[in-house]
Amino acid sequence: MAAPEELFCWEGDWGLPSISTECLVVLAYAKFAGAPLSLRKISNPWRSPSGLLPALRTNQKTVLSRPSEIIIHLRKQKYNADFDLSAKEGADSLAFISLMEEKLAPALIYTFWGESANYVEVTRRWHAEHMPFPLRFFLPSWIQSQQLEKLRLLRGDDVLDVSGELEKELYHDAFECMNLLSQRLGSHKFFFGDSPSSLDAYVFGHLAPILKSKLPNGKLQQHLRNLDNLSNFCSNILLLYFPRDPNREGGTSTVTPQPEGGDLDHVPNKRMKQFLSVIVAMGAMLSYALVTGMVSLEHFHTKVQEEPQDSQPITAQHHYQEEEGEG
Amino acid sequence: MSLATEAFMSQIAAAEPWPENATLYQPLREDQILLSDCASSLAVQAFLRMCGLPVQVVCRANAEYMSPSGKIPFIHVGNQVVSELGPIVQFTKAKGHSLSAGLDDVQRAEMKAYMELVNNMLLTAELYVQWCDDATATEISRPRYSSPYSWPLNNILAFQKQWEVRRKMNAIGWGGKTLEKVYEDVSQCFQALSQRLGTQTYFFAKQPTELDALVFGHLFTILTTRLTNNELAERIKSYSNLLSFCRRIEQTYFEGKHS
Repeated sequence: MAAPEELFCWEGDWGLPSISTECLVVLAYAKFAGAPLSLRKISNPWRSPSGLLPALRTNQKTVLSRPSEIIIHLRKQKYNADFDLSAKEGADSLAFISLMEEKLAPALIYTFWGESANYVEVTRRWHAEHMPFPLRFFLPSWIQSQQLEKLRLLRGDDVLDVSGELEKELYHDAFECMNLLSQRLGSHKFFFGDSPSSLDAYVFGHLAPILKSKLPNGKLQQHLRNLDNLSNFCSNILLLYFPRDPNREGGTSTVTPQPEGGDLDHVPNKRMKQFLSVIVAMGAMLSYALVTGMVSLEHFHTKVQEEPQDSQPITAQHHYQEEEGEG
Repeated sequence: MSLATEAFMSQIAAAEPWPENATLYQPLREDQILLSDCASSLAVQAFLRMCGLPVQVVCRANAEYMSPSGKIPFIHVGNQVVSELGPIVQFTKAKGHSLSAGLDDVQRAEMKAYMELVNNMLLTAELYVQWCDDATATEISRPRYSSPYSWPLNNILAFQKQWEVRRKMNAIGWGGKTLEKVYEDVSQCFQALSQRLGTQTYFFAKQPTELDALVFGHLFTILTTRLTNNELAERIKSYSNLLSFCRRIEQTYFEGKHS
């Protein structure tokens, strides 16, 4: 058997093995199917082989990034969590996964990246804290603009304004989706039978971040907490399949003791890094000014030459300037 | 449609019965309409026929711009305008016409899930084939879409639409898919629908629901529309129960209209 394949994921926090829905789906599926993956938890998407997270580097050296592709790939490797499902149950899985992608996923994007209080106090802060030094200043807002663009295209209209209309619609859809999932789950432990399948992985991936994150505006969380069977479903999977994740203690212990404050208040060596970045920026500006400044100086002089006031000293001046330019 | 208008509408709607002069607007049937729009429009017509509500179909070249959500089709009932199947189902429900009232909670959840499956996979695949497959886009979609307009507006509008659809495909991760992969996904969707339908008359036993209308709209349109190749239609034909399902609804609700 070849070496285990490498899976790149976002780091975990809030008691979750990873903070991103897509990563959670893949992680949960791999656990359910018992696929041996060597896990690389990172917080810099640029270190992933595809630039996206999650990413699976297969033994054939291809890189897969969509959760559905990764799951299909694992299935082909005989790590199949859906082995016991009947054809009809397989069809139902596909339908409920579509339901979540259409109704729940947009609301998740909105609540983490669109809702301004949540974004500033939790999402941006978390990413800024976990990303390496220069990236943390621009990558979170870059990801945000990507996510909002995705949301706009998913909804198919231009209503990303602040009127609150979009928010109501998204939350309405998401609440309905959660209710439907709750009705479908009923009092069962998993969606189909006694063992979890890919649908359970998708539901867990979408709901766990809602349940565990500590957002200032937690409308989705409040609704989910009222659906006892769904919130128990998530806690159960966390307990059974992700017990004592090393990141879980590490993540919470670094985050909880910190007081509420500004976005980048608790970066180690903050002053030093700020000072260094100012020096670097100044250096870059000065060198740029120096380079372009000399060029324009040259132009200025040649212009002066072209409109000679008095014709006598022109040749001497010309020679002198050429030497200066070369030196 | 916004929630506020939805709430407002359901209050108003309940008071007024369904009028005789309700109209459904769609793009020109012969020269302009595209596969995905035609499917959505047929789904709404099938739904209204299943409810027994009369509606007159009107073709307008600018239907897309008349629609409140920019999507096709939309219906004009009394003094209200509602677009797309989901809101239309809500609207008729407020007027006391519902096809899914007899379902229990789990069935209703499954029905909604399957409707999203059709929207998520089948509708997206139709858009992909129309606008991202170069042969289809050049030979069919762009000329048809822009047929009511003169040069240079026709090119501008068609490219604008294509650009928008392609960006959406990239955003949902379909941008990197090959046509073959899309056909595979569609097959997967057909298989799921076929499994769910089994040997039943309709998806949920004896009575049709909005899911039946939606599935019929898409399958029938795919079967009867000629594209640059008929791979999509071929893939339905391997599921005999879906074919007889289409024929059954056509005979029951569209007798003498399409035949």
